[in-house]
Amino acid sequence: MKVFLQLSWFFKQERKAYISGTLILLFVALLQLVPPKVIGIVVDEINRGSFQATDLLKWIGALVGAGLLMYVLRYYWRIMIFGSSVKLARQIRNQLYEHFTNMSQSFYQRKRIGDLMAHATNDLSAIQQTAGSGVLTLVDSLATGGFVIVAMAATISWKLTLICLIPMPLMAILTSWYGTLLHQRFHKAQEAFSSLNDKTQESISGIKVIKTFGQEKEDIEDFRELSDDVVQKNISVAKVDSLFDPTISLIVGISFFLSIAFGARYVLMEEISIGELISFTTYLGLLIWPMLAFGWLFNIVERGRASYDRVSQLLSERTEIIDREDAVDFIPSGDIEFKIDEFIYPEEKEPILQNIQFRMKQGETLGIVGKTGAGKTSLLKLLIREFYAEKGTIVFGGKKIDDYRIKRLREAIGYVPQDHFLFSATIKENIAFAMPTIEVGKVHQAASIASLHEDILEFTDGYETVVGERGVSLSGGQKQRISIARALLMDPEVLILDDSLSAVDAKTEESILTALKEERDGKTTIITAHRLSAIQHANLILVLDDGKIVERGTHEQLMGQDGWYKEMYLRQQLEELVEQGG
Amino acid sequence: MEKMNSGTNNEQYKVLMRLLNYTKPHLKTIIFAFSLLLIATIGDILGPILVKIFIDDYLTPGNLVFNALFALGAAYLGIHIMNVVVSYIQLLKFQEIALKIIQAMRVDVFTKVQALGLMYFDKTPAGSIVSRVTNDTEAIKEMFVTVLVTFIQSGFLMGGILIAMFILNVKLALFCLFILPLLYMIIRTYRRLSSKFYHDLRERLSQLNAKLSESLQGMGIIQVFRQEKRLRAEFEDINNKHFQAGMRNIKVDGLLLRPAIDLVYIAALILVLSFFGITSFNSPVEIGVLYAFINYLDRFFEPVNNFMQRLSLYQQAIVAATRVFTLLDEEELAPEQKGDASQIQDGEIEFRNVSFSYDGKRDVLKNISFTARPGETVALVGHTGSGKSSIINLMMRFYEFNRGQILVDGKSIKEYSEQELREKIGLVLQDPFLFFGTIKDNIRLHNKDMSDQEIEEAAQFVQAHLFIEKLEDGYMHQVVERGATFSSGQRQLLAFARTIAANPKILVLDEATANIDTETEEAIQTALEKMREGRTTIAIAHRLSTIQDANLILVLHHGEIVERGTHQELLAQRGLYHKMYLLQNGSAIKLEDVVG
Repeated sequence: MKVFLQLSWFFKQERKAYISGTLILLFVALLQLVPPKVIGIVVDEINRGSFQATDLLKWIGALVGAGLLMYVLRYYWRIMIFGSSVKLARQIRNQLYEHFTNMSQSFYQRKRIGDLMAHATNDLSAIQQTAGSGVLTLVDSLATGGFVIVAMAATISWKLTLICLIPMPLMAILTSWYGTLLHQRFHKAQEAFSSLNDKTQESISGIKVIKTFGQEKEDIEDFRELSDDVVQKNISVAKVDSLFDPTISLIVGISFFLSIAFGARYVLMEEISIGELISFTTYLGLLIWPMLAFGWLFNIVERGRASYDRVSQLLSERTEIIDREDAVDFIPSGDIEFKIDEFIYPEEKEPILQNIQFRMKQGETLGIVGKTGAGKTSLLKLLIREFYAEKGTIVFGGKKIDDYRIKRLREAIGYVPQDHFLFSATIKENIAFAMPTIEVGKVHQAASIASLHEDILEFTDGYETVVGERGVSLSGGQKQRISIARALLMDPEVLILDDSLSAVDAKTEESILTALKEERDGKTTIITAHRLSAIQHANLILVLDDGKIVERGTHEQLMGQDGWYKEMYLRQQLEELVEQGG
Repeated sequence: MEKMNSGTNNEQYKVLMRLLNYTKPHLKTIIFAFSLLLIATIGDILGPILVKIFIDDYLTPGNLVFNALFALGAAYLGIHIMNVVVSYIQLLKFQEIALKIIQAMRVDVFTKVQALGLMYFDKTPAGSIVSRVTNDTEAIKEMFVTVLVTFIQSGFLMGGILIAMFILNVKLALFCLFILPLLYMIIRTYRRLSSKFYHDLRERLSQLNAKLSESLQGMGIIQVFRQEKRLRAEFEDINNKHFQAGMRNIKVDGLLLRPAIDLVYIAALILVLSFFGITSFNSPVEIGVLYAFINYLDRFFEPVNNFMQRLSLYQQAIVAATRVFTLLDEEELAPEQKGDASQIQDGEIEFRNVSFSYDGKRDVLKNISFTARPGETVALVGHTGSGKSSIINLMMRFYEFNRGQILVDGKSIKEYSEQELREKIGLVLQDPFLFFGTIKDNIRLHNKDMSDQEIEEAAQFVQAHLFIEKLEDGYMHQVVERGATFSSGQRQLLAFARTIAANPKILVLDEATANIDTETEEAIQTALEKMREGRTTIAIAHRLSTIQDANLILVLHHGEIVERGTHQELLAQRGLYHKMYLLQNGSAIKLEDVVG
């Protein structure tokens, strides 16, 4: 029940809805008592032969009134209470989303997207249930149960009430015991199901092996056995699950029997009337639900609490990269200087960068090359402040990059990442991602520089073609060029191409590089690449190995040294020859 | 619009009928369960009648005969307890049937998946196939277990109650029939509205999740391009629409579910009371009958509520079933074998003018011809996309081809039986797929006849024995995460062992490209030499050093054989092969010579 306390901020925020919803619920619980009472009175009057047409109209009127009122009120408490719970889900979901946008990349390195999604979906729905069904069940079962018992005891017979309540706790105990059993068995059934799932996944991924060894039949047999296990585990769930209804029916039946047997005695002793006995049994019917509801309540609340804890924990995570209080609010421009003594990723031990010192003037092009894992991308991530190096500084336009507001710093940088990520939107929207309201002409221009314009025009919908997960599939090269156009559109002070030309052919690469040179006169460009032709014309080339700069200079200077650069350059030339077929 | 609706209704009906077809094998159990249900229903209905007899014959007249009352009470309790037992068995039986039906369907789908050609797997993401086999069938199970069973049980109970009412009082029962069209209308309206609104809610939820998942994946981009605010606003908008859809559903549920059914209950109650009230003006009334009617009314409406709350599951199940049936009807089957009894004796392989295209547009193989005589090794080399793997894919009959011929022992490969081919041709994949299970399981696969000794011999033969011995539990070592804990060389050795254990006549090798540590590299070399002995081998080689002793090396480029010969011959040609060789083995100085 602690979760209700944890959620009290929300109940306070929505107090109008919750208070009126609860009051309505209480009122409905009272109104529910009317029909059984009316039945009792009518039966008694009929039995006594004193029933008149006016009585009939009066009681029908009472029933119609109670019925309509209940209908309207039941509708409204649903809106109040369930509506608020949906509102809660919306609110927390927005909070989560905002929180996600504020988290730095080290957060995303630690968390798996699947888990984050689970928090935003499963956990939220459990919390929503707690604030909706949970509150309803608590109030309604207490109110209905309490009112009915009071009505039975006060208006009919407290003795009879006590007698037929005897078996009722047994129902609560049994159903909650079944609940525990069910939980365990259900867990096993889930496990069986998930191993069936794994099996299927494995068979499909390994379909070639299975076909190669001609083992389709055996594999199907294996699948059949596993699915048999799923059936067995589910039957053991069904064995408990099927107990609920008969048990309830048994205990309610005994209660009924007791009430008729003893009630009849009281009728004969003239302590109660036949009509009252019939009302009594109808009241008894109203008691079933609150008894059951209490069992569910614990379940809902337990799940809600675990989920709420997880979500709160997630929301309480703090990001380490934030604006300094005295951060300046203008876009940096000018020379860039790296002085990194050492950079270690959070939660890792080995440094990924060591002793990185270099300087580039505004308008120059920097090329960074080296093996996979040499630290090229890490170096760039420090510049865009996705990560923070404790030992070292990066100076941009005369100030450390930490002195600028992050937004301003990033406004100066157009970043084309290694893994070209596109959103499920049109090509135009993807290119205009940073400037959604920009005129179409500029979008076309950026696409042209990225050698993409012609490609796009070949699509049936041109710039309106939807890409991304749900859209048309593009080639790797096309995706890369969209990413490039996206960064180019900003006409940034610094353009970063992080191995962004790997999937385009040599000719396209050349035309993009030429266009960049023309368009970005006086602006800084940083290129990392595997293919050395992409950085051949850079003002400064750094060769990274194991996080350190091992060679530096222009292409000509590096070709003069018999180092990694020269060998790699020749090797790539040969590779190109091989690719062209000798 | 109306027409379109009936069209989809018709399709829904067809899907439902096809689903119900799966009940046929369980006809006997179903009849049994139905009989139990019938008994349980009769028991349910007898209770109030006994109470009615008690009230009218004994209580009201004050006529208390102990024996008769005892009998009545005993009958009531007896019937009740019997009823509880019968309905338990009945509930269980129905669930069992549902589970077995789903199992049959699952096996069907899985069997179908196994029969599909690789073409299908190329174009369909694995996740969605898995979803068809497990999640979609699970949704159908929900329908069988909850919707259909509830529907049948509710139907029985409602029918029984109506019959009992007719027995008690025909006239009043006739009046009570008015409930049915009323309920029908409510259910119909609810179904129409909720299927629309519910669908809308699901749609909004999936949009919401898609947006969230996409944002999480692209958060780096969003942050670098400073679009947090805009995306937040977009998300809030979708979230809001989802909220509104949720509210609409709550409203429809509030208007038409339990509150509405309760209102009908009150109406029915008014009807019954009025009937007895009006009758009582002229003649005496049997209070017991009144009691029984009111009691029946109480019971009548619970199943309706249950049933309506589960309607949405029905919609989901039909959608899921449609997807499952689409897969079952898929026609992209694996290539068929003519399958006569001929056997592969010598293992001679000949490709004769084979051309092939995956998409029917661009040829990935053009006029490929070569012969591998029994026991010889033919090596395929070439750049990525040159067509090496396609040759293997055809050789393994993963894809159907129509141009040219592949002959094994002079006979078209299509003539052999599936079993013969799989037994005689062994393939070692580039990325050997390791299954969940032990090392032993992974070598044996599903071949239960293979003894532990044979497994160890195979492992010894391919030099895998040494590293396996060093593992915890040796051959019983559990393979986790697709063998991610093994180096790629070790995985390759296991794949060798797997193939050698099956002792094929013809060997098809796709060499691992990944870096292999020197220690394993040596083992692989030795293993390869031993494996190739006495077997016709077609090998894709990435490291040219491994195929220097091949009888024939084919250099492929853009689907064509551009150079052919032995290692020495090809080196002497100073062509493509020579360049590739230098790339792998040459020093910088030699490179400079070639590049010029």
